[in-house]
Amino acid sequence: MSKKPAMEQAIPRASLTWLLVAQFLVILPHLGHLPLWISALWIACAYWRIQVYRMRARFPSALVKAALMVGTIAGVYLSRGGLVGLDAAVVLLVAAFILKLVEVRTRRDALVLIYLGFFTVLTRYLFDSEILTAAFSLLPVAGLLSALVGLQHSGVVVRPWSTLKLAMTLMLQAVPLMLVLFLFFPRLGPLWSLPQPSERGVTGLSDSMAPGEIAELSRSGGLAFRASFDDPVPARNQLYWRALTFDRFDGRRWTQTPQGFAAASPDWQAVGDPVRYSVIMERSAKPWLFALDVAQSDDDAIRRKSDFRLERTRPVERTFFYRATSWIDARLEPESPSAAVRRALQLPATGEPRARGWAQELRRQYSDDRALAEAVLRQFREQPYVYTLRPPTLEGDAIDAFLFDTRRGFCEHYAGAMTFVLRAANIPARVVTGYQGGELNTAGNYLQVRQFDAHAWVEYWIEGAGWVRADPTFQVAPDRIERGLEEAVSGEQSFLEGDPFSPLRYRHLGWINTLRLQWDELNYGWQRWVLDYQAEQQGSFLQRIMGHSDKTTLIGIVLLGGLVVLGALAIWIIKPWRRRLAPLDRAFSQFERLLQKEGVQRLPAEGPRTYAARAAQALPAAANEIRGFSRAYEQQCYETDDAHTQPLSDALRALRRSLGKGATR
Amino acid sequence: MATPGRSSRWDRWLASRIRPENPTRLTQQRIYILPTLEGVAFGCVLVVMLLAAINYQNSLAYGLTFLLAAVLFISVLHTYRNMVGLVLSAANSPPVFAGDVASFRIHLDGAGRARRAIVTGWQAAPTQTAPASSHTVDVEHDALVPADLSREALTRGRFRPGRLRVESRFPLGLIKAWSWVDLDLATLVYPRPVEGDLPLDVHTGSEKEAGAQSPVLSMGVDDFQGLRRYQPGDSKRRLHWKAYSRGQGLLVKDFAAAGGQDVILDFDALAGAIEPRLSLLCYWVLELSGRQQTFALRLPGEYIAADVGDAHRDRCLRVLALHGVQA
Repeated sequence: MSKKPAMEQAIPRASLTWLLVAQFLVILPHLGHLPLWISALWIACAYWRIQVYRMRARFPSALVKAALMVGTIAGVYLSRGGLVGLDAAVVLLVAAFILKLVEVRTRRDALVLIYLGFFTVLTRYLFDSEILTAAFSLLPVAGLLSALVGLQHSGVVVRPWSTLKLAMTLMLQAVPLMLVLFLFFPRLGPLWSLPQPSERGVTGLSDSMAPGEIAELSRSGGLAFRASFDDPVPARNQLYWRALTFDRFDGRRWTQTPQGFAAASPDWQAVGDPVRYSVIMERSAKPWLFALDVAQSDDDAIRRKSDFRLERTRPVERTFFYRATSWIDARLEPESPSAAVRRALQLPATGEPRARGWAQELRRQYSDDRALAEAVLRQFREQPYVYTLRPPTLEGDAIDAFLFDTRRGFCEHYAGAMTFVLRAANIPARVVTGYQGGELNTAGNYLQVRQFDAHAWVEYWIEGAGWVRADPTFQVAPDRIERGLEEAVSGEQSFLEGDPFSPLRYRHLGWINTLRLQWDELNYGWQRWVLDYQAEQQGSFLQRIMGHSDKTTLIGIVLLGGLVVLGALAIWIIKPWRRRLAPLDRAFSQFERLLQKEGVQRLPAEGPRTYAARAAQALPAAANEIRGFSRAYEQQCYETDDAHTQPLSDALRALRRSLGKGATR
Repeated sequence: MATPGRSSRWDRWLASRIRPENPTRLTQQRIYILPTLEGVAFGCVLVVMLLAAINYQNSLAYGLTFLLAAVLFISVLHTYRNMVGLVLSAANSPPVFAGDVASFRIHLDGAGRARRAIVTGWQAAPTQTAPASSHTVDVEHDALVPADLSREALTRGRFRPGRLRVESRFPLGLIKAWSWVDLDLATLVYPRPVEGDLPLDVHTGSEKEAGAQSPVLSMGVDDFQGLRRYQPGDSKRRLHWKAYSRGQGLLVKDFAAAGGQDVILDFDALAGAIEPRLSLLCYWVLELSGRQQTFALRLPGEYIAADVGDAHRDRCLRVLALHGVQA
C-alpha cells in the first residue's frame, strides 16, 4: 500500500472548488485598480484549470509557462510604466496569484496559492480600508481557509459546504484571541520605508490656485477630514480651516513663493480661550494639514510655518490623526512687518488696468487701509455679483472681466480679485485656501468637512492688528458661510450635479439623512478606534485601563490574555468532561439500565453472561430477548473481523419491546 | 557509532513510556503536538504579513495577521480534539509464512466524537525494506472503523511489528498531533515452505531394516490408489470432476502413502541448516494435509502424533514456527 508523500498528492475536489471561489473573491476588490487584461487572464486561467480537472486539457508545458510569465511581466510593465512601486508590485502579485492556478497540481502547489492569496488580501488594505472593504475581505479569507481544510480531506468525497462550515467555525473561534492580539500586541513604528500607494485618484486642495479650480473641487462630496471638539463646536462663521496661503500672482495663477515660509515661529499674540480638537484627516498625499487659526500641535512631526499653517514632515499618505489647539481670535504678526508682509505686495508688472484704476480711485477716497478693504467688500455686497458653481471662463485680463463685466464667480474669483485690488492699493494681502464650515454630526459631536467645503478667502495686514481675515464670498452669498454650499447654490441646482446618487444630495429627506449620518458616524468610529489604533492610541488605551503604559506590560497582557482566551476556548472546544464509552460498553450499559428498571441489579464482579442468565430467570417473559442480547454482545466482543453495533441495537430494541409488553400486561 | 546507541536509548525511553495495552485510549499524556513543515511556512507568511502591517502602519493588515495567527492557535485545539479519546484496538491477525506480508487489523473507535483523517502507520522503521504502509480513515462518532496495516514478516517465529504511529493533521494541516501506541500486535510466522524431496521414515514400530534404501517421498511418485466415495471433510481439490460430470457421483482421488503406513516428518532425518529443514517440513505439512493424508511430525523435543485435518495442520505449522524460538 505504498503511497506518495501527502504533499505530492493531487488536490481534492472540495479544495479545488474553494480555491477557485476564494481566488475570485481575492481578486474582485482589486479589479478596479487592475488593467483590464488581468481579468481576462483570470477567466482564461480558471477555465483552463477546470478543464484540466475534468481531464479535457493538459497542464501547461514549461515553455508555455515561461511564455505566460514573460508576457505577464511585459504586460504589467507596459500598463504601469515600470515594475517598481507598490502599484506595479500589487499587479505583479495578483498576476502571479492567477498564473499559479494553472500549474497547481499537488497539495504543495495549492498551499503556495493559498498563502499568496492571504498576502494579496492584505495588499488590498493598503489602498482601501473602509468598513465594507474590511468586511468583504472576510469572504476570501474564509474561502482560502476552506481550501486549506479541503486539502486535509484525503480522497474522501466531502461536500464543499462542510469544509466551509469548519473554516467559518475556526474563524469565529479565532475572534477573541485576535482581539487580544489586536489590542495589546505592541505597535512599532515603521521599520524601514516601503513604496507607498501612488497619488492617483486623490482629490483635494492643490498647491496653487487659478480661477475655476476650487469650483471644480466643490463638485466632489469626498471627505476631507473629520474634527471632533473637546468643547462645544465654535460658530459656523468661525470655522475657517487654514490649509495654504498664496502670496505670488503671475497674472493668472496664485502660488507660494518658493521657500517663502521656511522661517518658523512667526510673532503672534493669543487672545481669548483656546479651542481643543482632534482631526482625522483622509489621505491627501500632501504634507499640509487643516487647522483653525492660530493652531499649535504637540506632535513632533507637525510644524507651524510662518504663514500660520500647520505642516507635517511627510505627506499624509494614509488617514492621519492629530490633535491641535487653536486661538481663534489671536493676532497674527501684529507688530513689525516681516518678510511675509513685504512679499504680500507683489503684483505682475502689467495687466488688469481697470482693477488697478479702481484701486487707485479707492486709495484716493480712503486713507485708512481697513476702510478701503471695507469699501471693496461693500462693492461686492451692493453690486449685482453672483455666487455660482458654474463661473464663465475668462481669458486675458480675467480679474477685470470678472469685476466689471461678468460679475459671476466662485470663492476663488472673489478672493483673488480682492487680494489683487488691495495689493494695487498698496495694502499687503494674500489668498488663503482651506475649508470653511463642515457638517455637524450631532450624534457623534464631530464635524465632517468635505471637498465641497473647500474655500478661499483673503487676509490683509494692518499695522497693530496683524493679518485680518476678510471673506468677500460672505458679502455675495452669506448662505455659503452661514449654512453651507448646498443652500448657497440651491437656486441653480448645481450642487453635486455630477453625482446624482450621492446621499449628500438628499439631505432634505429626513430618513436618508439620518441613515447617512449614522453610517458616517460608524465610519468615524471605525477610523478613530480601528484604523488609527497605532502606538499613540494603544498607549492612551493602556493608560486608561492599566494606569500606565509600556511595552513590557503590553507583552505581559498579550501572553497572559492569550493564554486565558486559549484556555477558555480549549475547555469549550475539547469538552474534557465528556468522556464517552466505546459503542459496545454503551450498549451494555443501556442493557443494564433496562434490567435495573425491572429490578435485576448487576452484582459487583458479576460477568455479563451470568448476569444475563440470572436476569433471564428472573424475567421469564423476556428471557429470549435477554439471551439474544447476551449472545449478540458476546459475539461482538470476540468478533475479530469487524465489529458492528447494529445487532446490539436490534437486540436492545427487541428487549425493550418485550419488557414494555410485560409491563402493560 | 553514536547513532545506534542514541536510537536504542530513545527506543528504551519510549518503551518505558509506552506500555503494551490493547485497547489503548489516546490520552493527553501520550499525544504530542508540533507544527508541520507547512505550519512553519505559514508562520513565515504571517511574519511577512506582520512586517507589512508594521511598515505601512495598517490596522487592517494587523487585524488579518492576528486573525490568521489566532486561527493557527485554535487549530492546535482542533487537532488535539481530533485525537484525544480515540480508542484503538487490535483484532487477532492470521498467521503468515515468512517473507509474506502480514496484515494487522486495527479498530478505531471514535468514542462519541467524529474524527477526521486519522493516519495510522508503523512507527518509522528504517531497516524495513518493504514500504511501511499507512492508512487514512475518517471515524464517525459512533462507529468502529477498521484500518488494515501490513508489514513484511521476514523471519519465522512470533512477529511483533511494534509500535503504531497515529497521526492527524486535521483540520488545517498546519499542526500535527501524533501518538505512539503499542497494541501488543503479534502474529505467528510459519517457515517459508520450500519444495523438495523428503527422505521417508516409514514408521514400522520396530527397528529399521539395515541396508534398505529409505524410500523417498516426493511429488509425482506417490501412488494413485484409485477413486473412492466422497466423505465430508475431503479436500475439494481432490474431487474427481470428470467423473462427476459423467454422472458417477462425487468421487475423490485417493493417494496412498508408500507402504500404506503413516508418514513421519522427522526433523532429524534431514540434513543441512535448521531453517531449510523447517522450510521443507513446512512444505510437506501443507502438501500432505492437502492430500488428506495422515502424518506425524517429530522435532527435537516435540512429537505430534499422526493425525489428519486442518487442526492438525495448524498445530504442526505452529510447532514449526516456534521451533527454537522463545515464544
